[in-house]
Amino acid sequence: MSIPVIKGNPKANIPIRSISKRSRIIKENLTGYAFISPFVIGFLAFTFIPILASLYLSFTNYNLFAPPKWIGLDNYIKMFTGDPRYWQSLKVTLIYVFAGVPLRLAFALLIAMMLNTASKAVGLYRSLFYLPSLIGGSVAVAIMWRNVFGDIGIVNILLELIGIPTVRWFGNPTAALWMLIFLSVWQFGSSMLIFLAGLKGIPKSYYEAASVDGANGVQKFFKITLPMLSPVILFNTVMQTIAAFMTFVPAFIISKGTGGPLDGTLLYSLYLFIQGFEFFNMGYASAMAWVMLIIVGILTAVIFSTSKYWVHYESEGGK
Amino acid sequence: MKKLLFSTLSLVMVVCAGCGKVDLLNLASSQEKERVTIKIAWWGEKPRHDYTMEVIELFEKTYPHINIEPEYAYWDDYWKRLAPLAAANQLPDIVQMDLLYLKTYSENNLLEDLTPFIDEGVINTDDISEDFLLGGKVNGAMYGFPLGLNVPAIIVDRDLLSSAIDSFPDSNWTWADYEEIVSKVHNVKGIYGTNGMKSVDVFFSYYLRTKGMNLYNNSGTGLGYEEDQLFIDYFEMQLRLLEKGAFPRADEEDQIKGIENGLLVNKLAPMTWAYSNQYIGISEAANRELDLIPPPGPGQFEGLTLRPSMHFSISKSSKNKEAAALFINFFINNIEANQIIKGERGVPISSTIADKIENVLSEDQKNVFEYVYKVKNNNPKVEKADPLGGIEVVSLLQDISDQILFKKITPSEGAKMFRTGANSILSNKN
Repeated sequence: MSIPVIKGNPKANIPIRSISKRSRIIKENLTGYAFISPFVIGFLAFTFIPILASLYLSFTNYNLFAPPKWIGLDNYIKMFTGDPRYWQSLKVTLIYVFAGVPLRLAFALLIAMMLNTASKAVGLYRSLFYLPSLIGGSVAVAIMWRNVFGDIGIVNILLELIGIPTVRWFGNPTAALWMLIFLSVWQFGSSMLIFLAGLKGIPKSYYEAASVDGANGVQKFFKITLPMLSPVILFNTVMQTIAAFMTFVPAFIISKGTGGPLDGTLLYSLYLFIQGFEFFNMGYASAMAWVMLIIVGILTAVIFSTSKYWVHYESEGGK
Repeated sequence: MKKLLFSTLSLVMVVCAGCGKVDLLNLASSQEKERVTIKIAWWGEKPRHDYTMEVIELFEKTYPHINIEPEYAYWDDYWKRLAPLAAANQLPDIVQMDLLYLKTYSENNLLEDLTPFIDEGVINTDDISEDFLLGGKVNGAMYGFPLGLNVPAIIVDRDLLSSAIDSFPDSNWTWADYEEIVSKVHNVKGIYGTNGMKSVDVFFSYYLRTKGMNLYNNSGTGLGYEEDQLFIDYFEMQLRLLEKGAFPRADEEDQIKGIENGLLVNKLAPMTWAYSNQYIGISEAANRELDLIPPPGPGQFEGLTLRPSMHFSISKSSKNKEAAALFINFFINNIEANQIIKGERGVPISSTIADKIENVLSEDQKNVFEYVYKVKNNNPKVEKADPLGGIEVVSLLQDISDQILFKKITPSEGAKMFRTGANSILSNKN
C-alpha cells in the first residue's frame, strides 16, 4: 500500500496514514468508552445486574441460601392479600413521607431565607446549619437522637428540672413516628443549600421594583420568591420524596431493628430488611422492593405532571 | 555484590541439600501443627463475653497452634449480623446456635454434621446422655452441640417480694396465686409485680405445655393447640395486670438493653421470667441474693422441659473444622474451662463435669444446678429444634402480644390472627 501524500502544498510533504473514517470513529469511541468504563462497569456490576436479579428473585422463594424456586406471583399476592404488617409499613412510610418532606422543605426554605442576608457571620451559620446533614443518614445521629429523647435522655432530664412530667418519646407508636419525622426535618441542610443557591439567583431588581410598587414582605414572598424558586422546589421535592421512601437507618437504630413500638416506626425499608435478613424471605423482600420502585415512580410522575401548574421557568417567559 | 549473592545462594543450597530428608519430616509435622486461626461467634451479655474470653485464652494456651478470634453481640444484633455472613458463605468457624434458628441454618446446608467428630473421638461424649444430644439433631444429623441445659423459671428478689406480701410462693403455686401476688406487690410498693413475661414464645409455650399442648404440632406444619381459649386466657391475665398497673407496658421493656438495666436488677419488679441460666448473669448484675422458683401451675411437671438452648455449630464453610471441633470438645469436657464457665450457658451436659465443678460454684450457681436437676430427674424431656418459619412465628406472636397489650386488639382477635398467620407461615415452609 502506497503512502498517500498531501499534495498541492509541496512544503507540507507529510505522509499520513490511511485511516478510514469508520475506524477513526470507532477508535475515538473506544477512547470515550475507556474513560467512562469505570462508571459503566461499576454500574453494571453493582447496580444494573443486581436490579435485574432482584426482579427475577421477586418471583421466587429465594431464602438467601438455597437456590431460588420459581413461584410466580405468589410473593405479590401474599403482599397485597395476606400480610397485615405490609400494609402497616406502607401506612407508616406514607405518613413519614407526606408529613416529613413538606415540613423538611419548609424548614429548609425558612432557614435559607434567614441566611440569605448580607450579615458577616452568615458563613459560620451556614456551616453550622449544614452540620446535621453532613453527618446525615449516619448511625451516630440516630443513636444521639435516641439518647437525647430516651427515657432518661437530656430532654427528659431538662423537663424534670423545670417540673414538667417526663414524656416517653418513643413510647407510643404515633409519637415514635413523629420523632423520626422531626429527626428528618432537623437534617434539612442539603435542601437548604440548594434553596440558598436558588435564592441568590433571584435578581434584586424584582424586589426593588415590588418595593416601589408598595408590596409588603408577605406579598414579595408569594409573588416573587416562591414562583422564582419553584424549579428548585420541584427538584428538592422529588429528591427528598425519593430519599424519604428509602429511609432505613434512623428507624432501624431507634427501634432497635424491630420497627416498634407496635410497628409504629416500621418504615418500608425496615420491613423489607426484616423480611429479607431476619425471616430469610429474600424473594418476598425483592418483591417489596419492586413495589416500592413502582410507588416512587408513580409519585414522581405525579409530581412532574402537576409541575406545569406551579413551576415557573424564566427561560419560558415565566410560564 | 553478585559474587556475594552467588556464594550465599550456593551455601543455602548446600545446607538444604544436606538435610533434605530430615527437613521433609520436620515439615510434615510442623504442617500438622501449622498455626490456624478460627473464628467463633456467640450472643450474650457482658458476663458471658468476659468468661468466654477467659476460656478462649485457656484453650489457646493448651493448643498453642490454634488462634481464636471472637465475635460477640446481644441476641438481637447477633442474628442480624449472622444472616448476611451466612449468605456470603463467610460464617465464623464456630457459631453459637439456638433451637429457634438451628433448622433454618442446617436445612440450608450451612452447618456441618458433627457426628464424624464424635465418632472419631475428637468430641468426647462418653459422659453425656444420648437424650441431651437429641436437642442438637435435625433429621438424624448432629448440627449443634448443646452447651448446657436450661429450664424456664421465675427469678425472684426475695427481700423485695417479702416486703410486700406475707407468704413467699411455694413451688406448687397456681396462676391465681401469681396474679394475686403481682397485684399485691403493685398495691403495696407501687412498682411492677413482674417483668413483661418475655420472651412471649418461651412462656406461652410453657403455658401450653402445662395444658398438655405445644406451640407447634409434631410435623411443624401448624400450631400445636386447637383451642384459642388457651391463648385468650393467657393474654387476658396479662391485660388484667396491665390495667392495674402491675405489669409493665410493652414498650417499656423494649427500651431496656442489657441485663444491668432490667427491672428486677433495678428493684422495679420483684419477679422476672427467664431461663434458669440467666439467673447467674442477673444476680451478678443485681449483686444481691436472688431466688429461682418454677413458674405457676398446675401442670408444671409437663410444662417444665429441658432446653439445650445454646449450641455450638461448625459452619460448612469453615476451613479448620478439626480445630473447631477441638474447641467444642474443650468447652464441653475440660474441667478447668468449666470451672470458669460455671454453667452460665446451662448446666453442663457432661455428668462428670457437672460433678467436678460443684466445688467452685457459688450459692447462686448451685441454686441453678439444683433447680435444673430437679426438673431433669422428674421429666427429662429435651426440647428439639423449632420448625422452619419458627423465627417468623415467634416474631408474629411478639407482634400480636404487643398489639393486645397496647389494647389495639382484643385477645380473641389476637388468637385468630395468630392462628391464621402462624399456620400459613408454617404450612408454607414445612
